[in-house]
Amino acid sequence: MAAFRTWETVLTAPDPQRLTDLGKRLDELQTKQAAGSKRPPPNQSGIAFRFATELVAALIVGGGLGWGIDWLFGHFGFHTRPAFLILFFVLGAAAGIRNVMRAAADINAEIANTRSDKENGS
Amino acid sequence: MNLNPMEQFAIKPIFGLDKPLLHIGGHPIFFTNQALLMVIVAVASALFLTFAVKPNRLVPTRGQSMAEMSYEFVANMIHTATGEDGLKFFPVVFTLFIFVLCSNFFGMIPGSFTVTSQIAVTLALACFVIGMVIVTGFVKHGIGFLKLFVPHAPWYLLILLIPIEVISFLTRPISLSVRLFANMLAGHTMLAVFGGFVVALGSAGGILSVLSIAPMLLIVAIMLLELLVAFLQAYVFAILTCIYLNEALHLHDHH
Repeated sequence: MAAFRTWETVLTAPDPQRLTDLGKRLDELQTKQAAGSKRPPPNQSGIAFRFATELVAALIVGGGLGWGIDWLFGHFGFHTRPAFLILFFVLGAAAGIRNVMRAAADINAEIANTRSDKENGS
Repeated sequence: MNLNPMEQFAIKPIFGLDKPLLHIGGHPIFFTNQALLMVIVAVASALFLTFAVKPNRLVPTRGQSMAEMSYEFVANMIHTATGEDGLKFFPVVFTLFIFVLCSNFFGMIPGSFTVTSQIAVTLALACFVIGMVIVTGFVKHGIGFLKLFVPHAPWYLLILLIPIEVISFLTRPISLSVRLFANMLAGHTMLAVFGGFVVALGSAGGILSVLSIAPMLLIVAIMLLELLVAFLQAYVFAILTCIYLNEALHLHDHH
């Protein structure tokens, strides 16, 4: 604020041509930024890492749930161990594959998105 | 000189506070280096954001511009991921984003401690997020929120599919926390390992000492990469929070 213009520069009317140019440049920049603000496309190792965590996490959750159910039943005198552990481990594997398929669909959609953006932009 | 690359992740009491501060349910509670870093991160980010916007100028100062940019960044992210009604969750998502981001960045300071490289911290954050999603879903849709777990399929397949969907949902806090934790852990371990190379080569003597410049240069490159990862992981954490919230708010089926 302190470094404001002198009277002359404030009083002279701004060049309308320059103003419209500035407006145009601002618009261009804003559309460019809006397109760029989407998720950056994931790199290869990122994708691999994501799939691995999804799959392993589902196995852990499935196995853990099964183990917990067995433990709970064992608490009440039903000796189901390891029936539920096995069942939920398999369900966990299925859920893991479901997660990976979903993640793959997400990534495909993202890549398609960025591609169509690029085509529109050029 | 300690060359163990995992040494940096050790949690220990600091300030000579070897005695626990208090006991909760028989468990001793210590004030550790991790707790200190979390306090520093929380206080520093809160103070910075408060004082950065204080001048409230039309032409922002550098600090104000940073605060405004992060505000707009998170607001845009929530808007694109969840739509208009997701903006009610702006304070939560913004806090999470800034906390994770600042934790990652404070961890990059040599000799400090990376809070987000502890699974306990990231899992707690992720469980909080999922808890919030579940509560939001039930408040918004009542018992109808459970429809999220019922895909379109014949009834005899539902017997199999519903447990799978439930397990798939319960996977989220784990994959959310493991992603952040593993990225930070891997990056910092790598830095420490290459740091060990520098020391080992440097103390080997002769021509090997000259060679120690190579891992040193590599550390600079990895450091830059880690700064990117630090931001990217905070972003991923925040956007996944938004995506999960969106599902709870709109129950839209992705099948």
